[in-house]
Amino acid sequence: MAIEIPKSLAELPTTKPRFVGRGMRRVEDAALLTGRVQFIDDLVLPRMLHAAILRSPLAHGRITNVDTSRAEALDGVVAVVTGEDARRWSYPAQSSPDGWGVHCIAGDKVHYVGEPVAAVAASNRRVAEDALELIEVEYDALEPVADPFEAMKSDSPRVLDAQESNVMMDRTFTWGDVDAAFSQAPHVFREKFRWNRLGANPTETFGCISQWDPMALDLTIHGSIQSPGMFGLGRAASFGLPSNKVNIISQPHGGSFGGKGGTRGCDISCLLSRKAAGRPVKWIEDRGEYLLSGGSQAWDRHYDVSLAVDASGIVTGLKVILVDDLGATGEGYGAISAAKPLAAFTGPYTIPVAQYDLKLVATNKLPCGPYRGMGPPPHFFVLEQMMDIAARTLGEDPAEFRRKNFIPADQFPYTIPSGNEYDSGNYDEVLNQVLALADYEALRADQVRARAEGRLVGIGVASAIEPGVFDWNAYAIVGMPGTGVPEGATVSIDVLGLATVRVGFSLEGQGQYTLVSQLVADYFGYEPEAVRVVQLDTQSAPPSFGPGGSRLGVAITGAVLGACERIREKMSRVVAVLMQTEPENIELMDGKFLLKGAPGAEMTVAEVAGTMLARSDLLPPEIDPRPEATHVWTAPGRTPADEEGRAKSYLTAAHAVHIVQVEIDRDTGMVEIQRYCLADDCGTRLNPDTVEGQTEGSVVQGIGAALLEEYVYDADAQPLCTSFMDYLLPTVFDAPKIEMVAVETPSPFTPLGAKGCGEGAMHTTPAAVMCAINDALAPLGTAAREVPASPNRIWKLLDDARGGAESPDANS
Amino acid sequence: MTASPPSLKIRLKVNGDSYESEIDPRMNLADYLREELALTATHVGCEHGVCGICNVLVDGRTVRSCLMLAAQADGREIRTVEGLAEGGKLHPIQEAFIEEHGLQCGFCTGGFMMAICEMLERNPSPSEEEIKDVVGGQICRCTGYNSILRAVNSAVSKMSASRP
Ligand code: FES
Ligand code: FES
Repeated sequence: MAIEIPKSLAELPTTKPRFVGRGMRRVEDAALLTGRVQFIDDLVLPRMLHAAILRSPLAHGRITNVDTSRAEALDGVVAVVTGEDARRWSYPAQSSPDGWGVHCIAGDKVHYVGEPVAAVAASNRRVAEDALELIEVEYDALEPVADPFEAMKSDSPRVLDAQESNVMMDRTFTWGDVDAAFSQAPHVFREKFRWNRLGANPTETFGCISQWDPMALDLTIHGSIQSPGMFGLGRAASFGLPSNKVNIISQPHGGSFGGKGGTRGCDISCLLSRKAAGRPVKWIEDRGEYLLSGGSQAWDRHYDVSLAVDASGIVTGLKVILVDDLGATGEGYGAISAAKPLAAFTGPYTIPVAQYDLKLVATNKLPCGPYRGMGPPPHFFVLEQMMDIAARTLGEDPAEFRRKNFIPADQFPYTIPSGNEYDSGNYDEVLNQVLALADYEALRADQVRARAEGRLVGIGVASAIEPGVFDWNAYAIVGMPGTGVPEGATVSIDVLGLATVRVGFSLEGQGQYTLVSQLVADYFGYEPEAVRVVQLDTQSAPPSFGPGGSRLGVAITGAVLGACERIREKMSRVVAVLMQTEPENIELMDGKFLLKGAPGAEMTVAEVAGTMLARSDLLPPEIDPRPEATHVWTAPGRTPADEEGRAKSYLTAAHAVHIVQVEIDRDTGMVEIQRYCLADDCGTRLNPDTVEGQTEGSVVQGIGAALLEEYVYDADAQPLCTSFMDYLLPTVFDAPKIEMVAVETPSPFTPLGAKGCGEGAMHTTPAAVMCAINDALAPLGTAAREVPASPNRIWKLLDDARGGAESPDANS
Repeated sequence: MTASPPSLKIRLKVNGDSYESEIDPRMNLADYLREELALTATHVGCEHGVCGICNVLVDGRTVRSCLMLAAQADGREIRTVEGLAEGGKLHPIQEAFIEEHGLQCGFCTGGFMMAICEMLERNPSPSEEEIKDVVGGQICRCTGYNSILRAVNSAVSKMSASRP
């Protein structure tokens, strides 16, 4: 019997009300709320030491001398490492564009403020930090470069000695006859935009405990690690170890949003453990370190965008020039963020041709890493501003202008110019739903009244695609090799008929263990609370990538249902033997195996499992007697990328339209969000409560991006945001009430028709808020082109519109 | 070279239990609870007083345990997340957080619960504004706060229903 993973909820073998598709209490919550979940800093290992890292105060400089002798002499200090140890015992980071990786501790040169230059392992963190003060480092300061346009000039200081220029990549990708589209278009719009660097800031920073075994020459790492399998491969590469000699134990962790980072600190703790003769070394990144030099920063972008529109208001071409400032080394996969927009380059629209001129540039700032959405959120911010510019100039309503450019519902699966295929969608319906929810006409009528009173009220309508279930081929243009991302699960049923599911990822916040328990409960007729979900380390777990790229909900559903199917298949054979029939005559329903057409002839899952485990002597030898199975799911039908980066990459395309109403205070430039409405379609909702939770959280992160969050550097590349006093995260006062409505267009390609939705609203919210701000500013003839639209920036625009009379530098 | 900091003796109560410890005078209360008493439900998010994740109650008042020295807790009564559930039963605030999905990763939640606990013990029926004020003192990166507000409202009704 072939393994067929159910494509819809109706195919699940239950006649009772299903748990999947329904909101429910999360199985992970009680332990989290009582403090019984062990986060990395809660873990103590025998003979454990504590690490602290000395960091560069310069953005660019040559190291002329490092003297660690006084630190080594301090009581309680066990090991000190410097760039020399890093060069002796490790390799440069593999997560940079080719040739741009550097060692985890600086050698001859520092490339950004916060780069590690030495580290200490001591009896406790306080002693380790004392020891840092005893390390003497001498530098010759070099001229830094903070601006990517300066960095691209031939006479710019060079960030890496080994590279001839600061340009990591400079390529133009063209999909279709873009020149013809633009030369024939009656309307061409062009505008520049700036997206400033911001980042994930999970409430728990990165942490790890590393243990180098000097005898076995292997490495064991506990940590707050988002993707343990990948992380393990990275460490194997760092230390030249065979991949099976690195074991990663990912602790439950306090969020990630892609920004957990921490690979340098982890490699340093490994070096310290090696130097400390194999004692475990704990390194907990503090918030200052996170903000200065952790996985904290992403997307430092300068855009120049053109849109071609025909006489009837149909968009016929899109050109995007992106100068992406990746910081000093590009390590941490920052380049992927520039590649991912290919998965949804033209958004929800039928734009037939497009061009992407991509420049990845190095500066003396912290390397940019991943953040929720991994690149498309700024891309959609600029695309949606262009849609508004076109609509406004052509005198069209922004909602209706989008509607007539939407991919029609009957054209799916739909291949976009940059090569990805969208699985399904009903964009018109999503728009209709949110227009009704917001009572759009009334909102516009209110706006007319408000404007008549001189108030700056704006309404933003933005629409975006969330590529879901990532695949490596999406990033082929920046050198990521291969295709296929596995997720596995092992389902075991014990002698009393109870199920345990083993997975390879830890708790991070999205409620995946609850989803797993819902799936198994429906499949074998349990209560979700009766299903146990346990996490294994990388040397024991089934193959797993874990959360990331809006994939895990879909992928783990495939893995768990695949494993359940395999068990059903095995058990059906057992039951067939016992009932002296063929397996085809046996059917699973509500936790019982039934003989078709023979009411009453049935065995419960517990009876079958009990027989398999206790009486395998009754079974023919060709039947595997373990009531257990592992299934490894990968996305079907992914294709290798062609020369221009085109591939079937992300498996699903979720869609959303957000409508936001804002009012701008003329005196202060403050933006107040007065109404927030959204409709979204992520296919079948496996757990509507957790989808809603992800959406709410993502909207507020998007508001932070649009209005608050920014890592400011001065002209010498000195970071100015090193605490939560300077880097502003949204609080409850920034979080509006969010009204939402769901549309469900199942994916034809995924288990149960679900689509990736974890990154969610981040794709749409910054665009929507900025559209609303610019709608409010439109009567003044000005517009905000820079994110975040902080009060100082908006105030400056208002002041300029008034003629600049109040500007403090008007007289200078 | 020797650092040998002078040690200091403190006595205090945590969740009703008495402790006496010799401590490094520069140790903060969060580290004391976590490292010396292994009460790790108090998490640390910023160590500079902004996020509120490390909140504990000191003599009934919400305090950032990352900003208070353990020495300052001498003679005081501390309450932490470990003290919320009693007799194997979750506190109504914990129940409310589960029901309203007031947490995702759960790393921040302890800080919210302790501050909310103080508020509700002082004032069993707080206004919307008071609730927002208390919730506004902390950072959560996952939930977007709406579900936390719903959880507080639900805790208010649970606690008033259970009052005689
Ligand atoms: S850890 Fe104490 S306020 Fe953030
Ligand atoms: S639940 Fe994760 S930070 Fe609040």
